[in-house]
Amino acid sequence: MPARIRTVCLLAGAGLALATALACGSAAQPADPGGLSPAARLGEQIFKDTSLSASGLQSCATCHVAEAAHGADNDLPAQLGGPAMNLQGTRQSPSIRYLAGNTAFRYDAEGTPTGGFFWDGRAESLADQAGGPFLNPVEMAMPSKAAVVARLAAAPYAAAFRAVYGDGIFQDAEQAYRCMTLALQQYQREDPEFHPFSSKYDAFLRGSVRLSDAEARGLALFNNPQKGNCAACHPSSGDRPLFTDFTYDVLGVPRNPALAANGDPAFFDLGLGARPDIDRPDLYGAFKVPSLRNVALRRVLFHNGRFTSLKDAVTFYVQRDTNPEKWYPLAPDGTVMKFDDLPSKYHGNVNVTEVPYNRLPGQAPALTDAEVDDVVAFLKTLTDGYTR
Amino acid sequence: MNRLRLPLVTACLSLSTLAAQAPPEDLAKRVDALSRELERVKGELSARPTSDTVLGGYGEVQFSHFSKDGSKDTADLRRFVLALTHRFDDRTELVTELEIEHAVSSADDAGEVEIEQAYIQHRLSSAWSLRGGLFLVPAGLLNERHEPTAFFGVERNAVETAIIPSTWREGGLQVVGSFENGVVLQAGVSTGFDFSRWDAASTEGAESPLGAVHQELSGARSHDLAAFAAVNWRGVPGLLLGGSWFRAKGAQGQPGMPAMAATLWDVHARWTPGPFDLSAVFARGTVRDTAAFNQTRVGNPTLVPSRFEGWYGQAAWRLWSSGSYAFAPFARFESVNTAAAFETLAPASLTPQAAPAERIWTAGFNFNLNPHVVLKADLRRFRNDTAQNRVNLGLGWAF
Repeated sequence: MPARIRTVCLLAGAGLALATALACGSAAQPADPGGLSPAARLGEQIFKDTSLSASGLQSCATCHVAEAAHGADNDLPAQLGGPAMNLQGTRQSPSIRYLAGNTAFRYDAEGTPTGGFFWDGRAESLADQAGGPFLNPVEMAMPSKAAVVARLAAAPYAAAFRAVYGDGIFQDAEQAYRCMTLALQQYQREDPEFHPFSSKYDAFLRGSVRLSDAEARGLALFNNPQKGNCAACHPSSGDRPLFTDFTYDVLGVPRNPALAANGDPAFFDLGLGARPDIDRPDLYGAFKVPSLRNVALRRVLFHNGRFTSLKDAVTFYVQRDTNPEKWYPLAPDGTVMKFDDLPSKYHGNVNVTEVPYNRLPGQAPALTDAEVDDVVAFLKTLTDGYTR
Repeated sequence: MNRLRLPLVTACLSLSTLAAQAPPEDLAKRVDALSRELERVKGELSARPTSDTVLGGYGEVQFSHFSKDGSKDTADLRRFVLALTHRFDDRTELVTELEIEHAVSSADDAGEVEIEQAYIQHRLSSAWSLRGGLFLVPAGLLNERHEPTAFFGVERNAVETAIIPSTWREGGLQVVGSFENGVVLQAGVSTGFDFSRWDAASTEGAESPLGAVHQELSGARSHDLAAFAAVNWRGVPGLLLGGSWFRAKGAQGQPGMPAMAATLWDVHARWTPGPFDLSAVFARGTVRDTAAFNQTRVGNPTLVPSRFEGWYGQAAWRLWSSGSYAFAPFARFESVNTAAAFETLAPASLTPQAAPAERIWTAGFNFNLNPHVVLKADLRRFRNDTAQNRVNLGLGWAF
């Protein structure tokens, strides 16, 4: 995009954001005794409101369940939605905890894609992300923003919405929709449930508990750049590490036959490559590095939900290149169809240079089976709600 | 002003020396000649404007050839320093140094621009002075006198780079006492360390543990201050004996951080009998609470050692001199260990192995064109990390 056009777009975006902030300015009202501001309390109600979906059965909380660390609580590779709740998306419903520190999508000084919301970073903020599922045909499937706002105006909390955003707010569907997403954002920012930092690992960082020997060994393997090297993308350091650097990687995760979209052999989810605004073929196949906090609560892992066991997922990392036959199907001629969920022209994008991927068939994996168990033991310390 | 006094002193010394050695018949002529020279210098002195502001500086250019990997060869304007001293009155002065490392400092280059010193010194009495601001920490032989004309070798020695992180400066207050018996006392309170800066994933801490966490008064966290003291004795001509002690906590009030109390001490000596220049330094650092700190960073390549230390012995000989020229070969042996011990972690198998001490032989020479400009060459041999073996050539100046 030419620099001048980009500048104009940025200025226009900033102006729109400013106008929205002014229009939704009352969102900054003081918090109630319960700790949430009026806007955040509205956001909580919207988050849990199934009437805002075409089916009348689905809310944000349906796919982002608090008890599952605000991720999916089942083992479907992608959740069902749509007007009849029978349409499946193409990506796993991720945890939306610990996202308040994320930024809009950008390229850093070295050209590395960083930030953004959703698996492909296409949303620039929590609010932007929150506005997506309402209109997604395979999720809440509402036909338009105006339709969502009409339901909003009929909701039990409509008066509270007007009290926060103004009596005439529902007369401008675009503005009301934007305020709704800001309320959802405010809820996610303010409610400690979305960033409790209450895991055993947090207690360990505060010095109030010790890790077991297996957990400590797992942490060492997780950090060790010659072993797991997990911390290279999932940083574990600092007093409140997020276990993601918000970058992207092409892992070559095997195709998931349980995903309905994969019934079409021509279908490939290219991650960043699926975004019309990204013209970097070297990034096709890249998906965002998720936080590993609460990873042990996830019943499906990776963007396509290919794995349903944490141990399998960790083992895949270290054996993908040493034992590819364990993870990928065989072609009729007996060869391993490695990276089968990417068109062959993008196989060169897969990360094969960093530890633990930098190995060849026949070589020893970077972690033994016992070491994988230790890493899994450590990952389980990242689950929120630890009590002695 | 001091520089202009030098020719006068030299002339007077020369006069007295001649009076003792010259034959009587030549003496009168030579006295006349020296008297004329003395008058000329006095005239020059009175003609020059005096200034309370003095510009100085030093610089180092270095070429290094790595014996085992020529691709690592480098030529570098390693340091370029401008020093500005301003005397407000006969009791109070400002001392500053502005340094540029590696010639170019930009977003794409490795260079740095640094304020190396910026302090006010106020003389309380003939013996006692106060310093306030950013000053060099009194430690070892080199930290406070680090100009290339003041040390042997193209590069500073490893002990006073890795263990004492020269050029090490902190911000604070310092009292300095200089006594007629040759004793110099220095003590004060300053900024200290910030262990939250420790990057266990990098090798920076293995290169210099305290160099990785000192703050150089750049937005320094100052919840935990440091205390330091040093004593040096120059009671016998040509002999310097001294030691220093520096202690600081490194948590800086940050959540989840153990206290991380770090102590660095050293003893040092220098003896310059006739043409010889002999010196030695022993320095040791210790850090407490490292187990609690390291336990959260296990598996990373560089954990915080509980002890690090090093020593060196050096001998130099002013073999030849003529006029302003002087040629002095030297040899130095160093033993440096930046990770001599670690506190035990749980389980014990996660405790890092103590590193072996690196032993370094350096031999070469300094060739002074005059007291302010020096050409240097040396050969450095590392016992463990032989990839560091190199030949260095250097050019330095100080004024």
